[in-house]
Amino acid sequence: MAESNDLARIITGCKDGDAKCFAQIVDMYASRCYGYFYRLTGNNDISDELLSELFVKLVEKIGSYKGGSFESWLFKVASNIFHDYLRGKQRQKKSLEIQITEFESGTIEPKQSDGDLTDKLQIQLGRLDKDTRELIMLRFYSQLSFKEIAQMRSEPIGTTLAKTHRALKKLREFMES
Amino acid sequence: MENRNSENLRELFEKFFDAEQAESCVEDIQKAEQIFRENPAPKPDDVLIANIKAEIAMRLQAERAHHFRRILYEVVGTAAAIIFVAAISLQLFQQKDAPKTGEVAYASLIPPKIWESDNITADDEDLAVFTAQIEQIEDEVTALQSGADTGNGDSTLAELEMELIEINSGFWKD
Repeated sequence: MAESNDLARIITGCKDGDAKCFAQIVDMYASRCYGYFYRLTGNNDISDELLSELFVKLVEKIGSYKGGSFESWLFKVASNIFHDYLRGKQRQKKSLEIQITEFESGTIEPKQSDGDLTDKLQIQLGRLDKDTRELIMLRFYSQLSFKEIAQMRSEPIGTTLAKTHRALKKLREFMES
Repeated sequence: MENRNSENLRELFEKFFDAEQAESCVEDIQKAEQIFRENPAPKPDDVLIANIKAEIAMRLQAERAHHFRRILYEVVGTAAAIIFVAAISLQLFQQKDAPKTGEVAYASLIPPKIWESDNITADDEDLAVFTAQIEQIEDEVTALQSGADTGNGDSTLAELEMELIEINSGFWKD
């Protein structure tokens, strides 16, 4: 309860334009949001870019947050930013779609910046389709309940449960093989 | 990472599957999520976090300046509107109070010719003659009414009328 009161106080501060409150939000959520972007893109540079965009967007959009689960709202913004990024890239370069297809089909390994080694989980995630991958990322990094994820994706909770179960089971099989 | 609003997964899955299947689903999910914990994603760089905070502070400052400018424009706009309305109202009131053209000339007993003339000396003489003639006529009318005149009443009255017409027309001709 104290934690949620603190969060409410911080959000009120953000709405009043307090830079310190925004800094607290960054400290609280940067790791999870970065993990979400990184697992979706497999690229450090893009994740850096998207994370910056997310928090800058937060300054513009915080007034539109009208209560409810802040995590749900924040990850909805993050999800929109990721989709905008994909759309923008598609407009700039049609070949990105081909790259994603290749990435998803496992024919190429995801690009890594600064010579990072791709971890096994990242490779196996690349074998899942984009929608399933995003669902799993939401489940793990946003810490949202299935009910909240279902609401966010505008689908029945049974569908969300079935999709997540199927995807995680598949991922486990990939990881164990 | 287990803070999911104390969600009871088993209970949730049992709404859609039988108890055995629900148990298996929950187990699958928990095991898969364990994989994520064992393979953590990289953390964002400290420099990146510092840059994000600096960018936010800069945006907030710009937004504050923009907000101040907007308030200033609103105040200036409102003041201009008030001044405009006040000026229009003042003009309307002044027009209402001001005498209408022509009304003054006809409201006066003094003929328009004298009213519009700048020659004060000549106007005074005319007025003196006019006043004297009116006084003479008044005296004659008074004498007639009192019966002091012993002459023919009808002819005297006709003479007076003629005289009055003559004075009047002669005066307006000048």
